[in-house]
Amino acid sequence: MTTTAAPNAAPNAASAAAPPGRARIRTVYRWEIAKLTAQMRTRATLTVCLVAPFLFVVLLDQQSQVPKDTLFGRWVHASGFATPLFLLGFATQWVFPLLTSIVAGDIFAGEDQYGTWKTILTRAHSRTQIFWGKTLAAGSFAVLTVTVLALSSLAAGVLLVGHQPLEGLSGTLLPSGRAAGLVLAAWATALIPLLGFTALAVMLSVVTCNSAAGIVGPVVIGLIMQLYSFLNGSDAVRHLLLATPFDAWHGLLRDHPYYGPLWQGALVSAGYLAICLAVAHTVLRRRDITGG
Amino acid sequence: MAAAPAVDARGLVKRFGDLTAVDHVDLRVEVGEVYGILGPNGAGKTTFLRMLFGLIRPDAGRLDVFGRTWARDGPATLAGVAGFVESPRFYPYLSGRRNLELLAGFDGADAATAATAIDRVLNVVDLADRATDKVGGYSFGMRQRLGVAASLLREPRLLVLDEPANGLDPAGIRDMRALVKRLAASGLTVLLSSHNMDEVEEICDNVTIMSAGRVAFHGSIDALRAQAPDPAHRLATSDDERALDLAAEHPGVSLTRHPDASLALRARADVADAYLIALGRAGIAVRELTLEVAPLESLFFMLTDPDRQDAGDRAAAAPVPSARAGAHR
Repeated sequence: MTTTAAPNAAPNAASAAAPPGRARIRTVYRWEIAKLTAQMRTRATLTVCLVAPFLFVVLLDQQSQVPKDTLFGRWVHASGFATPLFLLGFATQWVFPLLTSIVAGDIFAGEDQYGTWKTILTRAHSRTQIFWGKTLAAGSFAVLTVTVLALSSLAAGVLLVGHQPLEGLSGTLLPSGRAAGLVLAAWATALIPLLGFTALAVMLSVVTCNSAAGIVGPVVIGLIMQLYSFLNGSDAVRHLLLATPFDAWHGLLRDHPYYGPLWQGALVSAGYLAICLAVAHTVLRRRDITGG
Repeated sequence: MAAAPAVDARGLVKRFGDLTAVDHVDLRVEVGEVYGILGPNGAGKTTFLRMLFGLIRPDAGRLDVFGRTWARDGPATLAGVAGFVESPRFYPYLSGRRNLELLAGFDGADAATAATAIDRVLNVVDLADRATDKVGGYSFGMRQRLGVAASLLREPRLLVLDEPANGLDPAGIRDMRALVKRLAASGLTVLLSSHNMDEVEEICDNVTIMSAGRVAFHGSIDALRAQAPDPAHRLATSDDERALDLAAEHPGVSLTRHPDASLALRARADVADAYLIALGRAGIAVRELTLEVAPLESLFFMLTDPDRQDAGDRAAAAPVPSARAGAHR
């Protein structure tokens, strides 16, 4: 090895230049985005979100039967706008929790897996700054995947089936422009509980330090919630489940739209978000990093 | 006003359940020192360093780094400090260079400044030609060197290295020690943790020896040498009985029966030389003379593992220095 003159008593240039507060959170955020961009898993997820709706429409087009039992299933050959709504109904079952937990469930536990907590926590950033930078990155990825899936579903339906008017849930035909707007609005409502699931995955990732638990946990919890909603259980409990707000978009497709479930779902999701992130933040701040 | 020491620990305690990993440790590293923390595995060295880096919190005591504390200054405590605890870890799916770029960004460096600094530190650790390879394909030694490079990126005043030669092959150990010595020679304060007496003796000015979480010795390497017992040799001669008789005529020579049917010789080097010459003059041939335990190694075992039954020859053991009480200067 050859060495150059090592820096000595000069003040730490890197540390001196390090920005304070929110700018440090942005630094962590950019760092996480760069890491996510380099990972095959995240690129593969985005590719699937982009391609899967087109494959679905092509496969459906080759079948004479339509999935009549599913919301908007009977109209998937009649209007391209039915495709994204049909897929939205399907995705809320378990796809959304999986999409968000692929990153959120691993973003903290991955540092345990690679033993890299000590690498990043010895660079003069606080655990709080690292927590928020990572959480924002996980949330961004969740929003990005659902946005890609929404736009891809809409594009697949319109390009491969057509932009015929869509029959709403009250039985009246919605003109193409209005149908497109409602489709996007319906997908947008899914973002609220999606972020609740993101927070749940973040919490599991921090608390268990295990990527598998962080990724599978929210999917299992989401399925259990779905299962409960199919049972004849208490309405009060059902309204408190994070899976319930995924159905709030139904009210938008009525002749007389109703928004009650949306607001209720937003409150429930916010509750999950706040509680899960508070638990995760507290655990991360107090944790002794002994591994790696 | 005198400059604050690089590290100043007082009464530091860390418990994990019933286990006290660090037990009222006092330790002080002055600016510009090359300081060793020596101890067997489980002595509490790494726990101490993890507390220094803020990875774990002490249960009691105080730890100042350049006059700053985690309780008061938070992560700013690490301004001017870099290093690694146990083996350095990186993201295996990124190249060595990309890892360094992200770490430089973490430290607030802009892209141009970071690129120059990364080129420099990669050259220092001889990794420039493998910088674009993914870290997942690096050998253990390359990751150790990348860890040093990542530390130098912060332009530290205090470099903390935990077992830097651990897991390296002999050539890697030689290179790593040479690198640390060159860095130390440039005036950097170095805190080196090791379980290897030779390594600390070769590199460090001062040392704290830890055993079972407590300070067993604190002082300079020279002071440690002064307290070390005489070297122990295994001796085989053509006539062991006469050799034993002759030893009785040489003050300072301790010669006893060795368990493997040879003799155990313990004496200061010059006294041993005189005795061996006398053996030759008496017509007694020396058939084997093997160094069993080096003096410092022998002292290390006595300090850290008094129950150890080995060639350290407890019978000839020197008194254990009572350095604990005065460990904190």
